[in-house]
Amino acid sequence: MAVLSCLFAALALGVAACGDDDDDEGGQGGDGGGSVTVYSSLPLQGASRPQTTAMVQGIELALQQANNQAGDVTVNYESLDDSTAQAGTWTPEATSANARRAAQDESAVAYIGEFNSGASAVSIPILNEAGLAQVSPANTAVGLTTDEPGADEGEPDKYYPTGERHYARIVPKDTIQGAALATVMKEDGCTSIGILHDKEVYGAGLARNIAGSAEEQDLEVAVNTGIDPKAANFRSVAADLRSGGVDCFVFSGITANGAVQLYKDVEAALPDAQLYGPDGVAESGFADPEEGGIPADVAEKVKVSVATLSPDEYPPEGQEFFSTFEEEYGEPNPDPYAIYGYEAMTLVLDVLERAEDPTDRASVIEALFSTQGRESVLGTYDIDENGDTTLTDYGIYTIADGELVFDQTIQAAG
Amino acid sequence: MEAATTTAAKPAAPAPVAVARDFLAKYGLIIFLLAMPIAFGIRDLSAEGDLSRLGNNLVDGVSNGAIWALVALGYTLVYGIIELINFAHGDVFMLGSFVSVGLWGTFALTVATGALGLVVGLVVTLFVAMIATGALNVMIERVAYRPLRNAPKLAPLITAVGFSFILQNVGLLWLGGSPEGVTDLIESQDRFFEVGGVVITNGDALAFTATIPLVLGLTTFIARSRIGKAMRATAQDPEAARLMGINVDTTISFTFLLGGLMAGAAGLIYALYQTTVWYFQGFQAGLIAFTAAVMGGIGNLRGAVLGGLIIGCIQQMSDNRIGGQWTNAVVFGYLVIIMVFRPQGLLGEETREAG
Amino acid sequence: MSAVAGRLRAVPHAQKLLATAAILVAVLVPFYFGKGSPQIDDATLAMAYIGMALGLNLIVGFAGLLDLGYVAFFAIGAFTMGWLGSGFFSQAGGEGVHVLVSEPASNLPGIHMNFLVVIVFAIIFTTIAGMLIGLPTLRLRGDYIAIVTLAFGEIIGRVAINGDELRIGGIWDATIAKLPFFEPIGSAATLTGGRRGITPVDKVDLPFVERFVALDLRPWYFLALAIVLIALFVNFRLRDSRLGRAWIALREDEVAAASMGVPLVKTKLLAYGTGAAFGGASGAFLASYLNTVNADQFQFSFSIFILGMVILGGLGSIWGVVVGAIALSLLNNYFIPDVFNTWPEKVGLDFDLSQLSFGIFGFLLVIMMVLRPEGLIPERRRQLELEEGIGAGATAGAGPTLEGGTGKHGEDVYETRRD
Repeated sequence: MAVLSCLFAALALGVAACGDDDDDEGGQGGDGGGSVTVYSSLPLQGASRPQTTAMVQGIELALQQANNQAGDVTVNYESLDDSTAQAGTWTPEATSANARRAAQDESAVAYIGEFNSGASAVSIPILNEAGLAQVSPANTAVGLTTDEPGADEGEPDKYYPTGERHYARIVPKDTIQGAALATVMKEDGCTSIGILHDKEVYGAGLARNIAGSAEEQDLEVAVNTGIDPKAANFRSVAADLRSGGVDCFVFSGITANGAVQLYKDVEAALPDAQLYGPDGVAESGFADPEEGGIPADVAEKVKVSVATLSPDEYPPEGQEFFSTFEEEYGEPNPDPYAIYGYEAMTLVLDVLERAEDPTDRASVIEALFSTQGRESVLGTYDIDENGDTTLTDYGIYTIADGELVFDQTIQAAG
Repeated sequence: MEAATTTAAKPAAPAPVAVARDFLAKYGLIIFLLAMPIAFGIRDLSAEGDLSRLGNNLVDGVSNGAIWALVALGYTLVYGIIELINFAHGDVFMLGSFVSVGLWGTFALTVATGALGLVVGLVVTLFVAMIATGALNVMIERVAYRPLRNAPKLAPLITAVGFSFILQNVGLLWLGGSPEGVTDLIESQDRFFEVGGVVITNGDALAFTATIPLVLGLTTFIARSRIGKAMRATAQDPEAARLMGINVDTTISFTFLLGGLMAGAAGLIYALYQTTVWYFQGFQAGLIAFTAAVMGGIGNLRGAVLGGLIIGCIQQMSDNRIGGQWTNAVVFGYLVIIMVFRPQGLLGEETREAG
Repeated sequence: MSAVAGRLRAVPHAQKLLATAAILVAVLVPFYFGKGSPQIDDATLAMAYIGMALGLNLIVGFAGLLDLGYVAFFAIGAFTMGWLGSGFFSQAGGEGVHVLVSEPASNLPGIHMNFLVVIVFAIIFTTIAGMLIGLPTLRLRGDYIAIVTLAFGEIIGRVAINGDELRIGGIWDATIAKLPFFEPIGSAATLTGGRRGITPVDKVDLPFVERFVALDLRPWYFLALAIVLIALFVNFRLRDSRLGRAWIALREDEVAAASMGVPLVKTKLLAYGTGAAFGGASGAFLASYLNTVNADQFQFSFSIFILGMVILGGLGSIWGVVVGAIALSLLNNYFIPDVFNTWPEKVGLDFDLSQLSFGIFGFLLVIMMVLRPEGLIPERRRQLELEEGIGAGATAGAGPTLEGGTGKHGEDVYETRRD
């Protein structure tokens, strides 16, 4: 009823909107620079909340380090949520609403998101029509940018109705991570691998790439199948791996999709197997038993691939990021997701600084795609014409005392 | 509407068709339930030459099923007495798990705690969890069901769904949205002993040993005690029971208390057995346990236990052979088939309204 | 509220006037906001949900069959749009199958049919599905019906999620593709896109109007409004028809209805079928509007979301359901995330209100059922039924009572005991 009365009030008073909420926050722009807005759209509720909270912290830190300035423009940041508590995960409704909201906003010049590749498939076409630069901090699905193996029919062109590109990402696509995982398994002397995935865009796509790379490197893929993330336990699923004669296991998916229980059950069924995981499980919610992660005796068998470097190779801002992060949040060893969020925002600020006119969307996109030799926490990279990063190195991490510890860098074969 | 075919009071026609129909009505469900394990057993024998794989499935199934059985008891008790599907029951069980896990933290129980300390701590936890969920269940009945006792059937079912959502939200705020791993106090997956290639783990042993006394205690209590008599009388005919001087409201509250106690115990056993808890476990467990209760014959305590064990086995076999992602669809498929062809379930408690 | 409603009924033309005013406001809404503003977005979603709630109201409100698996029809409608209006079957007919579509869809591989054709298919498919799901419940009582429909909802959800493993291409090619007019769809084609979803979906492309685009929401809104108006019209016509009266008789007393010659099987199946059709039409619209068919949307909580709208507005009350749907969808998409979200923080609590939306829904269901079971805008007949039911045993602690002489058989509607 409130809506109706509001409408009547609007009719009566000629007010333009009910509950209008595009109040410009933040300080006034610098001299002649004006101000621009950067949106982020991440699932802040449900199971991926821990990762996305870390991401938003990383984004806010990057902005803090730059004093909300890029060149001579003031940068305002607005964090949107593409999930609902009711669904517990991203929803198409919320995602497209966020994309439209950013597209509407005259001052918006960049959009950081989405977290899930499936959600990006929904927001990319909308932002493509709006010509708004989009930087994803976490998407790895191949088909969003290229038609290489792992992409579906019609990808990626079906996401870009205007034919122009506006979407870039800072993490390497699955082809690279799949190859990295397969390479590290090969090095560790695996012969027969079992892959379980959570059936999502990220999980299923990465599983396809791991399987492809493993076969190229003469590893036998004994099992490659989806799971039900909501199952109470995976004892019989693990027993199936055992009868498949698997000696290395990798779960292709995110922590929220039952990863903790799955690794426990697989470890119990296959006590001699090596366990691997992608960056989807590279977080304290998986690694730290204090935060509901896997117990230490399972963790010592797990290796995780993350698209970040060894901490001693970070550039100066990166080193600074860690000390600030610890000051700010009391966490000396942030989740990789905090690093991804930080890098996404830092890249956006860098692009705004380089853009001819940082308040003009087209020139921001142009600057984004002309990123060359950017030194970052993730390594030195360019953004190519598809919007992919040129990084090919993956860090392999082990787990000790509930923390991810850098182990080695893998040059993915392929 | 005409209720489902009643097996009793039907003159057995000598015609072979009628004989077949009677036979199917009596044993069709049992044959249907045995089809899967027998088929897999034959396949295993021909492929691997032994039944250890099927044996492992069944052991996992029975131990999982023991937990479902405890939850199913709550459904069956409540349904038997007021013919209501207590939709929030699964979430009461979930909160039982959460309370247990919280108490471990409070008592500082860890793997390092000595055996004696562990046993004492867990027994205390068990009592506290049971009382908490029992009280919660009684409260739900008071708030959500009692005011609607004479309302249309749909109303209490809808409030039950509403309460289920509220409890899920409590769980969501309590431990967040992700599944939370908890301390593996009993080394749940370690080998307890092994029989001919079939491994029995600590968790399995716990599930059997904790469930059996609880179920026996409950059935004895209902059969022998005064309040148990009152419950059975109320279930048969509330009106007559009231005229005989039984306080129907108290009896119904007590039934909810018993169901809640069982759910609390199941919650603790679940937390020990799975070593992972999360706010959504109750919804899943609730549907599975309800299926179990229907399979056994809703209103029938022994049936609930039997149904729980059977559903547990179906789940594990499906996980292992068909693929875990299909398990839920398989369970619900069974539910629909049983509901349609034999709503009175295996042990067929004739309910007052439609058998 | 009810006093106002009562007075309104006393004035003969008041209802018509109100309805006209409401429609007028609905038509004017989009012109007050920017063409791509979140407000129109929320309003469009609200319209789509109204369509679903009206459908569910036919099943639950009119015929008294509690359906907890309504999401199944949303899923089937959405998948119809995904199958017949996207590049999902990319092998179909070689270059693609195109029916009455213009650029750019007409150049893409896959099956691309005009939205109006798809919506007809969606209605046909969901009607059939509704009747199929209804069949097993014919012999069951109220709460068992609820569970069976819930189970079907979950099964359909599972099939949506795992349908990417079901290869239907080979079956199709071996059977249907042999018929004239049907082209092979490729042996690798699967039933659904699974959790990866089907994206993008064709935008609505109506004759005589510009192609719909993502950034201008007004046409979408008007299309949704048109669907709702058609649904409303059908609802009112049905309610006052012979069939509608049969449904209401069924709800009030199944045994009496049967003995008065109401054909139970036909009446129940028609309720399921028509109710489902609305879900299918709205589902197809939503798939196109949201540009995706994502298997994770089809959760039990969605069924409850729609049921909550019906409960809130008033079971069986058409205008009530409209109000309930608007209220709940705005609560979910606007008030909780945008308006009240920071309230707990303001009073010093460390969480967002949106984390509570689950609980708020549950709380609404409980409160409505306990305090005002007839809903915000009650249907008169329903109110009488309730008063009769409650009044019979309203004395506290009286326990169940025998309703002498009402001839109720305690079958579906009343918690009465007879032996």
